[in-house]
Amino acid sequence: MAMPVASAAAVPGSERALSTGGRHRPPVPRRRRLSDVAAAVILLLPVLILFGVSVIYPLIDTVRLSFYDIKGLGKPIFIGLGNYVRLFTDPAFRNTLVTTLVFTLSTTVISVSIGWAVAMLCNFAPRQTTIFRLMIFTAFGVSEAVVGYMWISIFRPDAAGLLNSFISLFGLPGFAHPWLGDPDTALWAIVASAAWGGVGLPLMLCFAAVQSIPRTVLEAAYMDGAKPFAVMRHILMPLSLPGVRVAVFINLLGALRAFDIIFVMTGGGPVRATETVGYFMYRESMTQFKLGYGAAATVVLLIAVLVISIPAIIQRTAGAK
Amino acid sequence: MIGKTPRWTIAIVGVIAFIWIIPILGIIVTSVRPPQDVTLGWWRLDTIRFTLDAWFRVWSEYPLASAFVTTAQLAFIATISTMLLTPAAAYAFHFLKFPFRRLMLIIIINAFVLPQQVVIIPLFQLWRDLGLLDNFASVLIPYVGLSFAWSIFLVKNFLEDFPKELVEAGRIDGCGPLRIFWHIVLPNSLSPIFAVAILQFLWTWNALLLPMLYLRTDVPLPVLLTRVSGTYELNWDLRSVAAIVTTIVPLLVFLIFQRQFAVGSETRTGAKE
Repeated sequence: MAMPVASAAAVPGSERALSTGGRHRPPVPRRRRLSDVAAAVILLLPVLILFGVSVIYPLIDTVRLSFYDIKGLGKPIFIGLGNYVRLFTDPAFRNTLVTTLVFTLSTTVISVSIGWAVAMLCNFAPRQTTIFRLMIFTAFGVSEAVVGYMWISIFRPDAAGLLNSFISLFGLPGFAHPWLGDPDTALWAIVASAAWGGVGLPLMLCFAAVQSIPRTVLEAAYMDGAKPFAVMRHILMPLSLPGVRVAVFINLLGALRAFDIIFVMTGGGPVRATETVGYFMYRESMTQFKLGYGAAATVVLLIAVLVISIPAIIQRTAGAK
Repeated sequence: MIGKTPRWTIAIVGVIAFIWIIPILGIIVTSVRPPQDVTLGWWRLDTIRFTLDAWFRVWSEYPLASAFVTTAQLAFIATISTMLLTPAAAYAFHFLKFPFRRLMLIIIINAFVLPQQVVIIPLFQLWRDLGLLDNFASVLIPYVGLSFAWSIFLVKNFLEDFPKELVEAGRIDGCGPLRIFWHIVLPNSLSPIFAVAILQFLWTWNALLLPMLYLRTDVPLPVLLTRVSGTYELNWDLRSVAAIVTTIVPLLVFLIFQRQFAVGSETRTGAKE
């Protein structure tokens, strides 16, 4: 697509006005009209300044800082790829990569599959399940910090912890566990909490997708004697895939950036077992003041985000007219 | 729908839904029962006593009221700013011709993928050098600046279906680009602007990372909650009240404006094709 060039300023209105504006111009006295470029500057200037300060500058600066060794307020020393070499030889960071992968994938898979399944079931009785959908959807509206807080109280190791009490109800006291205090279970506890809050969006998107399927399609299937389960398997599930795809993308993106829930529930611990890359960069830069090292970890996170966003970026760029 | 509604599907969905609200139920019940009654769990029915004691005491125990005011101020200013600036930019991108228009648009609408972790180190240094740390501007600027990545996309998407005849008519009547925006496009684009406002309000109210790093004295509710829940006191009743106060406003806004939220988040993320 051709870029509108500076000549647009010389030809006010360009092709859109040429078709109608030329002939039907009313005989009113013409007042001086602002050119498109001048108007665009007025309308866009505050936006471009704010966007520049809070997106473009930080983006460039993060990449720049990742090549420097910065200790607190000391003078930055250029070390080339030194931070990246250190990152990938740092066992803590390699552990973080695994944690990030496990956390991101499991949170997304669990939340989207529950949301999708519930949306499918709700489709058989949209009216009767309205209140139930609202209940599940409500979890999605709870602040992430509060989600973390709620689940801390469920995973509490003492008698008031809901999960442990529930387990001992079945006479399995051996399974009572300090879920958030054990490096082996803490990550899964966070996954469960994040997935709890993440079901709302897939549910909404998948339900909207199945509701937009024309009724006639379903009626035809029932006429042909299809059982409800077959309708679900062969019509509803395939036709709701666009909703699933979007939900997977959003939840992947959300889990990759996760910070609040990890900060609230475990603070990355115990023994750094629940640190994802998004948390690692915070810890290194904001609590250890290794800004360059933290910036390098952020660049790694950024690359991961860009890789999973490629389809979305292509779609948006092509659609930007 | 069509005659056959298997009952078991409703039952399954119902069970899941009840499991889903247990955590929410938990903090509500904990907040209205005396702490000594819930040491074995908020669901225990040994002694049933109702008290609003924690609801009265929490305001003097924690600076919850001032945090509420801070949060409301930040969310309000950020939401209004985004509501005013976004439609202006979306209009310019959609109806005006100027150099680098498409390039700027592509950069802005693709920035929605950026995690907020990207901004924290550079802005931390910048605010420190400018002496802006602990100033509301240090969080308001990124709140508004980051919102453009999705808000402009959302409003511009709406403008794709905007009747061109209206704009043409304005032009023929001698309106300049600014008057067309103010008198024709803006009054007819209130629904996407409203959706933008809801999303921005929820996001800024719930924000934790940026205010935690850039603000010290007047902190918003999520930051206060993390400070409160990090202590090892056994005041689960007070903390539960703090958690409810933190999330009640965005939760209500979210539930009341579900429709706008759905429209907004679908367009925001490109679900609408």
